[in-house]
Amino acid sequence: MTHVPAPARAALTPVVRLLAVVIVWLAAPAGTRAHEVRPGYLEINQTAPQAYAVIWKQPTLGEIAVHLAPRLSNGWLKRPPVDQYAADYFLIRRWSVASAAPLAGVSVAIDGLPETITDVFVRVRWLDGRRQDVILRPESPSFVIADPTERAATGVPGFLVLGVEHILTGLDHLLVLLGLILLVRDRWMLLKTVTAFTVAHSLTLALAVLCHVQLSTPVLNTLIALSVLFLAPEVMRARRRETSLTIRHPWIVSFAFGLLHGMGFASGLTGLGLDRADLVSALLSFNVGVEIGQLAFLALVLALVRAFRLLEIRWPRPVALAPTYAIGVFGATWTFQYGAAALGFIR
Amino acid sequence: MKRLRLIITGLSGAILMILAPAAAQAHLVATGLGPVYDGIAHFGLSPEDFLPVIALGFYAGLTGAGQGRAALAGVTLGWLIGGAAVAGLPPLVLSVATAALYLVIGGLLAAKRALQAAPVAALGFALGVARGAADFAGALLGADPALTLAGMAIAVFAVLPLAASVTLPMRRTWIIVAARVSGSWLAALGILFAGWLLRFGKAVQ
Amino acid sequence: MKPSPALLVAAMLAVAFAPDAVCAHVVKGEAIGFVSGFLHPVSGADHVIAMVAVGLWGAQLESPAIWALPVTFPLVMAFGGLLGLVGVPLPASELAIALSGVCLGAVVLTQFRPPLWVAALLVGTFGLFHGYAHGAELPAAQNAILYSLGFVLATGLLHAAGIAIGALHRWTWGRNFMRVAGALVMGGGLYFLWGALT
Repeated sequence: MTHVPAPARAALTPVVRLLAVVIVWLAAPAGTRAHEVRPGYLEINQTAPQAYAVIWKQPTLGEIAVHLAPRLSNGWLKRPPVDQYAADYFLIRRWSVASAAPLAGVSVAIDGLPETITDVFVRVRWLDGRRQDVILRPESPSFVIADPTERAATGVPGFLVLGVEHILTGLDHLLVLLGLILLVRDRWMLLKTVTAFTVAHSLTLALAVLCHVQLSTPVLNTLIALSVLFLAPEVMRARRRETSLTIRHPWIVSFAFGLLHGMGFASGLTGLGLDRADLVSALLSFNVGVEIGQLAFLALVLALVRAFRLLEIRWPRPVALAPTYAIGVFGATWTFQYGAAALGFIR
Repeated sequence: MKRLRLIITGLSGAILMILAPAAAQAHLVATGLGPVYDGIAHFGLSPEDFLPVIALGFYAGLTGAGQGRAALAGVTLGWLIGGAAVAGLPPLVLSVATAALYLVIGGLLAAKRALQAAPVAALGFALGVARGAADFAGALLGADPALTLAGMAIAVFAVLPLAASVTLPMRRTWIIVAARVSGSWLAALGILFAGWLLRFGKAVQ
Repeated sequence: MKPSPALLVAAMLAVAFAPDAVCAHVVKGEAIGFVSGFLHPVSGADHVIAMVAVGLWGAQLESPAIWALPVTFPLVMAFGGLLGLVGVPLPASELAIALSGVCLGAVVLTQFRPPLWVAALLVGTFGLFHGYAHGAELPAAQNAILYSLGFVLATGLLHAAGIAIGALHRWTWGRNFMRVAGALVMGGGLYFLWGALT
């Protein structure tokens, strides 16, 4: 190996780091956007004893078309829609149908759903106010409409699951949590930090969903990416037994980041176009779902840390640093990506 | 040296990221969360996979931290090798190996019979190869087998230490008794499975 | 923030044995295997009373027996199952199963306290016959591992039920209650014995 003089070596360090980030950025465009896809929404509304209105909101992603098409086994949606227009992130189609045939027993399927990672929220509403809410997923892309007299409609478990899923599949949220766990040494501080995060994101989630207080998506995404990036050097400092404001008072940072991430969680709900009446119960159960997912992740990480400590494993340095580097690399990549999008360099 | 280390870390970061988007990409059938999650889910939904891993963890934890590390290394490595390289083994061989390993691991746990680290590692390796190969023999793990395998290995790598951390502190008697009872259940499972193979073994072929 | 081991065990057991998780595999027909395996030991009253009696007796005999019996019993029973599967002829298994109800009921009723090895031998012998009967009836078209899992699990839970009732052993009225349970088991055994003989 050729000898590199010390100053040159020092100069090389940022270059290598930058290079790694650039490589990563070029290599990773597809997956990192995956979490941005909004759920689709299908509503079948009985407007009169023999008339139905159908609304289909199909999520779109910039120029990437998400190929989803709803299909009813009674053939209603084979006709051309009465109305079709594009809104932000959605393509909206409407049908109105006159039919005396009963809706119960009709099967609803979303073509193309198994090939995506998004969900579709389906609401069937009868004239008497009864309704059936179903969340269709890639692994279960269809269902049969039930007889409204036979069931009491409640969407709460569905939203709960949606909340759990939303956090467990959101790498950005998980990395921030991981960073906070790595940053904090004692249990009391961890409790404070996690509580601060929870309180903060519950607050902004509620504000965003109920009062439509929301940052523009590109800005929000950039800020969330920055929050991930921010934590990596802080964790590194804590490892080196250095100190900083973040290390002394992690709950302040976690509260601030919680505010951001709460708005991020809201993207899992606001796209559904729910009624105000349902919003509160949906919001509550979604938030509880997020909490459950968050606590499960926390418990898993802590249990694993304890298990590895009991096994007295001495990790090689690169392995021990890998989680921190993962936080930093992902954070940097997302910051570039979303920052560029927010500034209008890429669409 | 420092530079080398930096490059290695940078490269491993890059590799991580190249792998990760594929993991998060929008094409997976079963969970919709990418093949890595699929591997984890498959492991979590397959008692024939996770029960022996938990039992091995209990056992290794009962005997000591060194055995725990040995089992962890052995089973994870074995799973990767079994899934990647030994996928062509006939199902009957894998089933017989599975039954035998259930009996041995469960029996050791039930009897609380301590072994040195090396035999424990070998036991873990054998279990990993047998189950990893069995999971990939059926070709039911379509989309991206390498990442699915990685997901399974991650799950194995997490579940075994968790199980070991239950028995390792050796504080409460009832935990040890419960672990030993679970060992006898696994051994019983192995015996029944062996009997089933003796009777219907040709059907497995 | 240290998770207690007890909680961890509970969580793991819940995950490991949640029928839900197994049912998620319905596509491949595996849940059917698990459920039918699970139902098999629970569906025959002659088996159920004997399993519960084993737990009760274990609780009466107290410390090493209370866990030595549940550890050895599944093994012996599985071995019996293997014999049944392979088709080794074991005479009069119906009779032995009915007899096991009578005997186990009787020992619980009388609070009989033999040395541990005698108890283990007695329970083991009956376990062999119970396992044999199950093994001989096992249908071919099942997922073997899941079927066996359901089977072992159901047996273990029946023991656990017996041991849980045995927690009453502390109190005098509890001991009397257990003896009544033993009498019931014995009565049930006699009924099945009558059925097996005629």
